Amino acid sequence: MTSRARRLRLAALLTALTGAALAASAAAADRAIMSGQAADALARELYRELIEINTTDSAGSVTAASEAMARHFRAAGFPDADVSVLGPEERKKNLVVRLRGTGKHRPVLLIGHLDVVEARREDWSTDPFRLIEKDGYFYGRGTLDMKSGDAIMAAALLRLHQDGYRGSRDLILALTADEEGGCCDGVEWLVRNHRELIDAEFALNHDGIVGYSISSEHGVPQEFAFSATEKTYGDYQLTVTNRGGHSSLPRSDNAIYQLAEGLLRIGQYSFPIELNDVTRAYFERMAGVRGGQLAADMRAITRSPVDAAAVARLAHEPDLNSLMRTTCVATRLEGGHANNALPQRAQAVVNCRILPGHSKEEVRQELMRVMGDPAITVRYLADDGSVSDTAPEPRAQSPSPLLPQVLKPLESTVAASWPGLPVVPFMNASASDGFYTRAAGIPTYGVAGIAVDRDDIHAHGRDERVRVDAFYRGNEFFYQYLKTLTAR
Amino acid sequence: MTAGPCAGVAAFLVTAGWCAASAAGADAAGASNALARDLLAQLIAINTTDTPRGNVTTAAEAMAQRLRAAGFAAEDIRVLGPSERKKNLVVRLRGTGASKPLLLIGHLDVVEARREDWSTDPFQMVEIDGDFYGRGTLDMKGPDAIMLASLIRLRQEGFRPARDVILALTADEEGGGANGVQWLLQHHRELIDAQFALSGDDYSVLTENGRPRFFKLVASEKVYADFQLRVTNKGGHSSVPVPDNAIYILTRGLDRLAAYEFPFELNAVTREYYRRLADIESGQRSADMRAILRDPPGGAALERLAQDPVERSITHTTCVATRLDAGHANNALPQRAQALVNCRILPGHSPEEVRQRLVQVLADPAIVVSYLASDGTLLDQAPAERGFAPPPLLPEMLNPLDRLVAETWPGLKVIPSMSAGSSDATHTSAAGLPTYTFSPLSVDPNDDREHGRDERISVASFYQANEFFYRYLRTVTAR
Repeated sequence: MTSRARRLRLAALLTALTGAALAASAAAADRAIMSGQAADALARELYRELIEINTTDSAGSVTAASEAMARHFRAAGFPDADVSVLGPEERKKNLVVRLRGTGKHRPVLLIGHLDVVEARREDWSTDPFRLIEKDGYFYGRGTLDMKSGDAIMAAALLRLHQDGYRGSRDLILALTADEEGGCCDGVEWLVRNHRELIDAEFALNHDGIVGYSISSEHGVPQEFAFSATEKTYGDYQLTVTNRGGHSSLPRSDNAIYQLAEGLLRIGQYSFPIELNDVTRAYFERMAGVRGGQLAADMRAITRSPVDAAAVARLAHEPDLNSLMRTTCVATRLEGGHANNALPQRAQAVVNCRILPGHSKEEVRQELMRVMGDPAITVRYLADDGSVSDTAPEPRAQSPSPLLPQVLKPLESTVAASWPGLPVVPFMNASASDGFYTRAAGIPTYGVAGIAVDRDDIHAHGRDERVRVDAFYRGNEFFYQYLKTLTAR
Repeated sequence: MTAGPCAGVAAFLVTAGWCAASAAGADAAGASNALARDLLAQLIAINTTDTPRGNVTTAAEAMAQRLRAAGFAAEDIRVLGPSERKKNLVVRLRGTGASKPLLLIGHLDVVEARREDWSTDPFQMVEIDGDFYGRGTLDMKGPDAIMLASLIRLRQEGFRPARDVILALTADEEGGGANGVQWLLQHHRELIDAQFALSGDDYSVLTENGRPRFFKLVASEKVYADFQLRVTNKGGHSSVPVPDNAIYILTRGLDRLAAYEFPFELNAVTREYYRRLADIESGQRSADMRAILRDPPGGAALERLAQDPVERSITHTTCVATRLDAGHANNALPQRAQALVNCRILPGHSPEEVRQRLVQVLADPAIVVSYLASDGTLLDQAPAERGFAPPPLLPEMLNPLDRLVAETWPGLKVIPSMSAGSSDATHTSAAGLPTYTFSPLSVDPNDDREHGRDERISVASFYQANEFFYRYLRTVTAR
């Protein structure tokens, strides 16, 4: 296609988008291959639309986002039977779309969550529910985690469909609810109630490492990390109660101070270092990529006995620290009932990310031991908000096998997109919906072609953002990867 | 009535009136107690917290209704205030006008109480094993009920006091703004103007193992101030914890605050307090009290005394963390962590002085310390005014009190004191109304449940205080 033709094509697409009449172009008699530029414009439009639909657990509606995406697929000519919006909860319906292939091989499932964590306007520099493009970045809640991925996956399917592409496998896209919290209306529900809709040989989760796979430095990609295992998520509720009293007569026993002391001990504590097959491979491969002391330290920790000084140096990097050990961090506090009364209760939420092979109950016991104060009760806080005296005992699941039908296309697509960029297996420190698909026997890999600077990860924080060029490169990459993956 | 045999057992009887010479007196006392109890139960059942569930106006109206039923003239009962939910009650018992009026003040609002924290429903008065339980039994619907019952009793007896007695039951003492005493002083001074004021907002008979130790008369108050400690952070995903964490920064600061003690300091009232208390106390405590009066004060004595939260609060400005709030999601690093620190400041010091000291103690510029005004606004700096100086102890107030205390509890001394808590007396004193605080309820300070869970007062003490207060009012307004 000439550049002039491409410009015309883009203009036509944009017109179609503003008129929400994508169908017109899709139904065009001479079905044109979608250009990269048009695909980028499409992804950006989907991205904007998603960011501007509030999908928080408190005030948002995932159903609104699912419906919005479903409209695009229907308008593009996907048969109604292949576009389902479903779920047990009115505000939290999921979208499942199938792009049919030849059926030569079993399907690939693509998963992404539509819900986002809370964002308060007053904490942010911009409105978190507007997609703002500023100084080379996209800003907004979910720009990284993970409406970028949702938009990219949806755009890839729309583009393949527009191309008239028929892959060797069906591509199933599930955009879902309740990954960030809430309970059980998303992937877990689909697996349990509509396995037939999403059954696949393996799954790709665009959540990657909270929405990206490529760590960059000043915008230069350093490695492509695909996750093959993940830590287990566990919330614990710490509570101190006290008889309280009038705040004009402070006593030495005080629920808030007692809790504060316990939290300080947790803040100072590090769980023991422990590697598994995936993280060992990660450090070995990364040692070959990185240089100097860092590489030496990475090599040192894969050997036995472990070099304590190397561990200490690596642990300074929060990302690496989270790969080596279970981590627990205080994320919420609440205490007291009146400004002028001694607190009768002080509570904290401690969020833990637990290494495979360890149980939530084991970690609960360790938290109690670290704080060493029986007055601080530690209870397990389940996803549905219920609190129990003990935590579940089962140990976290083992890593997904490294399947060649997933890895080879990944390595070749990465090599074509970012020549020389190493591909390394990775353990996801954050829990994702891959937990449920893995538990259902569907090997799951986190793959997202978005690059994020190591020191610029704002997922769940304020002013969450993604570089504009990284978004577009990630968009093109994912489309290419899906094609390669289903080429034969 | 003479002291002696009667007074000796009075403390253990349901009412001091039992000893009154006439059977009619006993009947009147019994009826007044029944009324006081009824008023208390009614007040407790009306939620007057500063929450959407609370309403002070409802309580003010209910008590106005009681007063009308008791024969007070409609023009002497006013329910008024700038907020619909927070109206005050002002009632006047007319006297001969020989002397200037006496103002009685009490607040109707209570601090929040959560059903799940309590053993009983905090908004139902329950009598268990000789105690009344419920939010406000002590602070201060108990004293409110007693003041009301005394006024009604005087009215029904046709008593003509030498001075008008004005009772103001008000809003917003526990927090919430300035719709109570402050508003009355500013907009209806004529309704409540008096020679001096008595507040019932503190129990006076301090007991230990059930025995009264002394009668506390509050003549000075610390200044109340709330400060907000705030840490902000860029937050992030909780799966990758970073050392720089808003909650840990805040808790490190709180840890330092918990270990800090403001300097020891005495004033005219607290000096008098220890001088008199040393005569009542014995052994080491008595010696310690004398020691801290010397210049320089005995260090070890000070340390021992400060172990007791009451003595510590009388000799030091205190600050304590009362609330925490941090984080926005379980799985996100906190972008904000906040604590509320409540301070009680010695007279002669300003809130701003204390704010600056907090900044020093927290020793971390990441922790921003702001002043939280009572209307909820946050200010970078706190007021620079210092607490009011203690008023003189008027003989027309003190002499009748001395006599009645000696009669009711032979040997018990009235001891002028500084309140560690701050009350509406701050506002009346600042407006030029000398204000003294006492309520003749007996409480063991080691079991003081004001603002806490399972707040209670002893039934026997409540009735005794009811009788005492009635008699005090008769005496103090006799001339």
